[in-house]
Amino acid sequence: MAAFSKAYLAGLLAVLTGAAVLAGCGTDSTSSGGGGGAQTIQIWEGYTAAEAKAFSHLVSEYEAQHPGQKVSPLFVNNDNTLQKVLTAVRGGSPPDIAYLYGSWAPNVAQIPQVANLTQVVQRPGVNWNDFWTGERAVATVNGKVIGIPAVVDNLAVVYNKTLFAKAGLQPPGPDWTWQEFMADAKKLTNPAIKQFGTAYVTPGTEDTVWHWEPLLWEAGGQLLTPDNKKAAFDSAAGLASLNTLRTMAVTDKSMYLDPSDSTYSNLFNSGKIGMLVTGPWDLSAFPNVKYGVQVMPAYPGTSGGHQTISGPDNWVIFNNSPARVAAAEQFLLWLTAPAQVKYWAVQTGNLPSRQSVGDSAAVTQQMNAALPGVGAFIANLANVKQARPQISQYPKISTILGNMVVSVLLGKSQPQAALTAAAQQVDQALAAG
Amino acid sequence: MRRGVVSSEQFTGWAFVTPAAVIIGLFGAAPIVWSLVMSFQENNLLSPSTPFVGTANYRKLAHDPVVAQAIQHTLVYTVLFVPGTMAVGLFLAVAMNRKIRFISLYRTAAYATIAISTISEAIVFLWLFDPSYGVVNYFLSWFGVPPQQFLNSPSQALYVIVIMTIWGWTGFAVVIYLAALQGVPQHLTEAAAIDGAGPWQAFRRVTLPLLSPATLFLAVWLTINALQLFDEVYLSTQGGPLNATTVLVYYLYTQAFQQFNFGYASAIAYFLFVVIIVITVIQFRVGRRFTYYRS
Repeated sequence: MAAFSKAYLAGLLAVLTGAAVLAGCGTDSTSSGGGGGAQTIQIWEGYTAAEAKAFSHLVSEYEAQHPGQKVSPLFVNNDNTLQKVLTAVRGGSPPDIAYLYGSWAPNVAQIPQVANLTQVVQRPGVNWNDFWTGERAVATVNGKVIGIPAVVDNLAVVYNKTLFAKAGLQPPGPDWTWQEFMADAKKLTNPAIKQFGTAYVTPGTEDTVWHWEPLLWEAGGQLLTPDNKKAAFDSAAGLASLNTLRTMAVTDKSMYLDPSDSTYSNLFNSGKIGMLVTGPWDLSAFPNVKYGVQVMPAYPGTSGGHQTISGPDNWVIFNNSPARVAAAEQFLLWLTAPAQVKYWAVQTGNLPSRQSVGDSAAVTQQMNAALPGVGAFIANLANVKQARPQISQYPKISTILGNMVVSVLLGKSQPQAALTAAAQQVDQALAAG
Repeated sequence: MRRGVVSSEQFTGWAFVTPAAVIIGLFGAAPIVWSLVMSFQENNLLSPSTPFVGTANYRKLAHDPVVAQAIQHTLVYTVLFVPGTMAVGLFLAVAMNRKIRFISLYRTAAYATIAISTISEAIVFLWLFDPSYGVVNYFLSWFGVPPQQFLNSPSQALYVIVIMTIWGWTGFAVVIYLAALQGVPQHLTEAAAIDGAGPWQAFRRVTLPLLSPATLFLAVWLTINALQLFDEVYLSTQGGPLNATTVLVYYLYTQAFQQFNFGYASAIAYFLFVVIIVITVIQFRVGRRFTYYRS
């Protein structure tokens, strides 16, 4: 908007980057001694507020326990980390560790400087299988482990207890179906007071897509064929999942459509929306509502059962020197060990990234006391049975699927026509490689 | 002797500009050249393999249906946004170019639109144009207009972005026009009045021609910015619904930073660069004939 301030910022950025480059050169030349002695590793993370506090506590604890080891955190907005990492890799000075979104993993795996952790996670004491299935799937690309799980979450239904009671509805139970979800949404909708049964985010990005993918899985469908060569969602399951969305968005008009991805949470907190399919990160935005959390509904008569989707992120190590890689591995294994995972979960409300911590009743109780409903999300991690395909074409496929879902929600396409068109485009994208 | 003085002065001059020139060269010129090279490569910035593909990226651009859509959206947006902003800016500037009470307050209010960050602007407009809860649909209902879908409608979303950005740039246009209006000599308008011109005629025949340098500047500046529209789209619709607000720079961004097609994105950037140069040159050529510079 303000062109002058933009130019000014660009100039400022240029100068600061210049300074950073010089500073980077400095640290490189001093710390390249290597060889088991003192090491400073740089870590890029995007923590703010409570998370930032807890993280710096963990870092100082680590430094106290490991004399000679220094960890230097740098705040980077998570959305921009990959861009910055790419620039730094090209400049020859990547961070030792960076927090990177799981959806980037197949592309991150192509960076030659990314350390291969396949052997590292098999070391005694790491207990790799203690990380949730969904996390391990996202940290692994073509059999190679490229990251250590940094965060895990999933989608469940958050519902407004007051609105349910007012509408004379029973709160949803653990065995509920999408039929019941649709019926509840319809009853919770009241155009006179602008109240909606549920909401859906429609920017057409991955946020639109990953809210739909568990419906496909629950209906018994698959996104791609097992060899990831062709689309498999143009199926009865695909049709059932899109019909569910169409019924609410187009027929019943019980679904508030949010093109910005930002208004739905305010509306839920204002008591204007009955149910949301969302993740644990949203719970702290609902202080004004008495809410409950239930697993996603199922499609009876299919093998899918109750499922959900997880969007884990990874800590990724970049190779600056063997000694610094070793130091970075040591820090990450410590950071993601059960004791630290527990501290992190209790302090920040993030779901425990290890199953042994998630299974602890004491941890769940502590977390629930701080943020009601988190426990249900922890339990729901057991319903993460599948992951998105770990292929480098996924961003392209996601764009196609986003348009497919939005076109159905806006009533611009019939579900079957949308499926056929999208499957054709996905096949083309996969064939193009 | 004299020569020596000149060259030492030259040396001093060069010494002063060198740091700035180096920084601009390093962070401005080098990326520009590098992205030109990249536009002839298949480059995802991830893997070290960056094969040259000749003009393949540019040929792909010609056959990409989304690029065709993005060009169309960019042009429609520019054609509405540039005259719209200038008209609103001129109207407000003329209205505020007089001695009335609280004039500083009004002027500050008009300029505030440029001081407000784009993200706040986007959030406010999201709520104003919300199909269910927005004030705009509420006002429309007074006139019997049924609720509109606005940003949820592929046929309306781009126009909401036009309104949003006109509002955001109004302050800028007002300031430019206000400054130009203050430079219009009063004796000229008075002479016109004595010659029997009414207020409208005086404005049309005297004031408006004297504003033409400001008008040309605004037309060029706003057009360049319109062709580079990104922030408002990124913050409100992310190019949707169904690509309805995907403009060239936003598409470039998705290709580069979501799909990792940096080579292709560079080709789009260079295409846009050429378009902007051509349009700017045309504007200056045409504008020169209508622009009156007082000497």
